[in-house]
Amino acid sequence: MIGWKGRSSLTAWVLGTLTVIFLAYQWLPIFTLGLLSFSGPTGGTTFPMNGTSFHWYQELWRASVMNDFKPPLLRSVLLAAACSATTIVLSVMAAQAMRGQFRGNGWFFYLMLLGIMAPGILVGFGFAILMRLMGVDLSWDTTTFLVQVSWTLPFGFLTMLAVFNRFDKRVEEAALTLGASRLSTFRRITLPLVLPGVIGAGLFGFSLSYDEYARSMFTTGPDATLPLAVMAQLDRQLTPEIYAVGTTTTLFSLIAVTLCTVAFWAMRRSTSLRRT
Amino acid sequence: MDSLAAPLEVMARPQLDLELRGIRKRYGDFTAVDGVSLQVEKGQFVCLLGPSGCGKTTTLRCVAGLEEPDDGGILIGGNEVTKDPPWQRDIAMMFQDFALFPHMTVAKQVGFGLEMLKKPKVGIAKRVEEVLKAFEISALADRKPGSLSGGQRQRVALARAMITEPRILLLDEPVGALDYSLRETVMLELKLLQQRTGISFIWVTHDQNEAFSLGDLVVVMNHAKIEQQGTAEEILRRPATAFVASFVQGNNVFRGRVTGTSPDVLQVETSAGRFYVPRPPDPAPMLGDAVSFSVRAEQITDAPSQRQANRLTARCTAVEYFGAVRRHIFERCDGEVLKYDQFGAHAARIVSGQTVQLGWQVEETVLHTGAPG
Repeated sequence: MIGWKGRSSLTAWVLGTLTVIFLAYQWLPIFTLGLLSFSGPTGGTTFPMNGTSFHWYQELWRASVMNDFKPPLLRSVLLAAACSATTIVLSVMAAQAMRGQFRGNGWFFYLMLLGIMAPGILVGFGFAILMRLMGVDLSWDTTTFLVQVSWTLPFGFLTMLAVFNRFDKRVEEAALTLGASRLSTFRRITLPLVLPGVIGAGLFGFSLSYDEYARSMFTTGPDATLPLAVMAQLDRQLTPEIYAVGTTTTLFSLIAVTLCTVAFWAMRRSTSLRRT
Repeated sequence: MDSLAAPLEVMARPQLDLELRGIRKRYGDFTAVDGVSLQVEKGQFVCLLGPSGCGKTTTLRCVAGLEEPDDGGILIGGNEVTKDPPWQRDIAMMFQDFALFPHMTVAKQVGFGLEMLKKPKVGIAKRVEEVLKAFEISALADRKPGSLSGGQRQRVALARAMITEPRILLLDEPVGALDYSLRETVMLELKLLQQRTGISFIWVTHDQNEAFSLGDLVVVMNHAKIEQQGTAEEILRRPATAFVASFVQGNNVFRGRVTGTSPDVLQVETSAGRFYVPRPPDPAPMLGDAVSFSVRAEQITDAPSQRQANRLTARCTAVEYFGAVRRHIFERCDGEVLKYDQFGAHAARIVSGQTVQLGWQVEETVLHTGAPG
């Protein structure tokens, strides 16, 4: 007979194991692709691997293939950066407005969240039809940008709402009574304190836009973004080159996230709220 | 009659640091402040005292400009500021948990007020250094609030508020967040600081010891209204309403109806018996009016002589010993509690369970002349 402490540590082991299995299930496919991207020049896209080499990375770097992916890559990065910046500005503004409790803020909240709820493929398709009706030409830097912001903004908005929810508004009031205008208070007090959340909103904006397929499919026009180009390539021929692209982008994202996490952690440390 | 009417009061009124003219503030159906009027003279130490939810903090926030009253006027130093934003008012505020800026060093946040006034950088650095020294926190200049103790934070918050030398310092429960042992020291320091600088303090508290020991003027609030304002002595000795009498320590409150009047004395019938209270100047309560009155616990005696015309027989239920005072708790015949304080190191005369006749003088009975609460 074991005591309740012993039973609860047993439970912790069982749940921990389940969690590890789940995480493996989530991440192993990516490792598989990464592994296969190192197969030899004659290698296929399935196991067993035919030798190991950097062949597909060299292939990726070679002009012919790079030319296929370089412009979409550039477009996707630019688009993601633009979505990220727009998400930051709009989500901070929207969350600030929600703090003020204006008339109809409940409706505003649900309308914002509609961007998450609505199926991407329908949003993209409907938007494309609407644009066509209005005689607007589809392009990655106009129509796709708009559709993707409607997707990334709610995530940024929820992040900022959560941050402001824990925000002690008396520090703002203290600044106001010390002679700071509302703008100075925002610049000197509010923004520095919610910066980790702002970075988070920006990360959401970037990563959600960067790999968005469904919403881009109908709205992009002739110049494809990276996910569209990759899908097109998959349709034509499947080589480990695609895996090399995937691995490279994943690494790129990991590095970006790591950098942001380190920045975030450093911020936290320097602003750690009233704990001795 | 007075044919020579007294000349109009032309005497210059001492300049007021703050004047509230019937301010009102509602939140939906809830009235937080209901017609509060107050005059604070230059360099006065004012304590707003009342239970939580009585409107004292909202009143303070209206003065700060953090809330805008629905009605009424606010004058600071004689200037109308009712609609002005906080940053244009000649005030500073200290918050209950100090509301320090977590991302700024002590030196940076103490200098914040001057920075907002767009003072030259060199001047700010010099002044900050002086102020940090004056508040004995120079050693903390480069620390952030997260690593400070409660007492240190309190000093930083005070230095930050005082550096611009505002006309009025608003303090919302400023020692409430401190350890009990630290409070009295800090209170004394703040009182001395206030006297030295001549800055008006408006101190919000629910602790009557704070209010009575610090305030030149104590303003007792309840249900969004001012019940009474005056010196500590006036409020302790002559409570104006039944609420004030029961809120401040040491009063026994009675309610009843006037059953007899004479030029000097009113006879009041209460559920605990018949008592006599001094008749106030006109308009005095009439026969049949509902009134309340109180007597302080230390004015009662357990050996009433002829002078103690007010008599009451009650059973002692508890005796509490505080060193200087021995407090006896009695149960009145109407079920209410009666307190009787005995001073000095007398041996205990009454024990719990004993039924005793108590008495007090008519002159020590205080009729409440404000609206009965």
